[in-house]
Amino acid sequence: MNILNAGSKLAVLAIIIIILIILGYALFGKREVVKTSPLIGKEAPDFTLKQFDGGEIKLSELRGKTVLVNFWASWCMPCRQEARALEDAWERYKDDNVVFIGVNVWDEESSALTYMDKYGGQYPHGVDPEEEIQVEYGIGGVPETYFISPSGVIIDKYNGPLTERIIDFYLQKSMKPESDSS
Amino acid sequence: MKHESQLKRRTLVLYSLTAALLLAFLLTPAVSEAQSLDDQVNEISFQLMCPVCQGQSVAESNSNLAQDMRQIIRKKLQEGESREEIIQYFVDSYGESILASPPAKGVNWLLWILPAVAIVFGVVAAGMFLRKSGSGRSEGESKESEASGPENDYMKRIEEELKKQDS
Repeated sequence: MNILNAGSKLAVLAIIIIILIILGYALFGKREVVKTSPLIGKEAPDFTLKQFDGGEIKLSELRGKTVLVNFWASWCMPCRQEARALEDAWERYKDDNVVFIGVNVWDEESSALTYMDKYGGQYPHGVDPEEEIQVEYGIGGVPETYFISPSGVIIDKYNGPLTERIIDFYLQKSMKPESDSS
Repeated sequence: MKHESQLKRRTLVLYSLTAALLLAFLLTPAVSEAQSLDDQVNEISFQLMCPVCQGQSVAESNSNLAQDMRQIIRKKLQEGESREEIIQYFVDSYGESILASPPAKGVNWLLWILPAVAIVFGVVAAGMFLRKSGSGRSEGESKESEASGPENDYMKRIEEELKKQDS
């Protein structure tokens, strides 16, 4: 049974073609480059961390230094996996105007201290008493690491366990003048 | 004729029902009442997806992150921030993928209009089908009645012949 006349058939065909063009554009059209965080390229949100040794560390006071901010938890296996690489990298970069900060999240203080005893803790580690820093930095899990330039701009973010080579790559990128790092 | 008018009436009812459904769907969010702080936290939490969960909103998830997010929403509401400002805060940190309903911009608008377009096309196609099949049937019926004309004549002639033979 023919339910469409010639005009209607043409209209349906035109609609199908338009829908296919739109879907084609949606699938293959120009897209934004997917970043690991929407904060990349923006000024790093300021925070004050309460260190486990009692002191405080404020990000905005570290202007002029390249900063690595690593989010971790004692129960996180990939964090243990990257701990050695972070300690070794800190040894190599500590005299190059680079600061490493460990941010302990979703954890118990006693477990975090035991972890630091076992896996190192030479650079500053602490917690945000307000427990907001992890949300402000868009953390979805641990470990995640931000690399911040001396001018306070987030250069990149790495999700997952770091190796020394990965740390070198991102730190070199963050230490460059901003016009070169993109 | 009667059949055609019935069909038109049915199509009209079908169109009206669809229009009423669409209107109800569009007007529902506009109906809101004064809400408690918990309700507001809940409402905003439902608009945000938990970044570490599978298809769960911040309101539905019990993960540490979702709990932190609900706490931040509550704090920001108490500080007087608007719903839009709070949602923007999370979008700035996690990107638009955190939104439970993608914003109607870029290719995202397709997600918003395609269901409505599909409904409209479905209704139009159903209407066309009903009209066409109805008119097809009435054409068939009139053909049937035309065909029955000569048949009747033939039967009359046979009856007349039989009567003649009987007499």
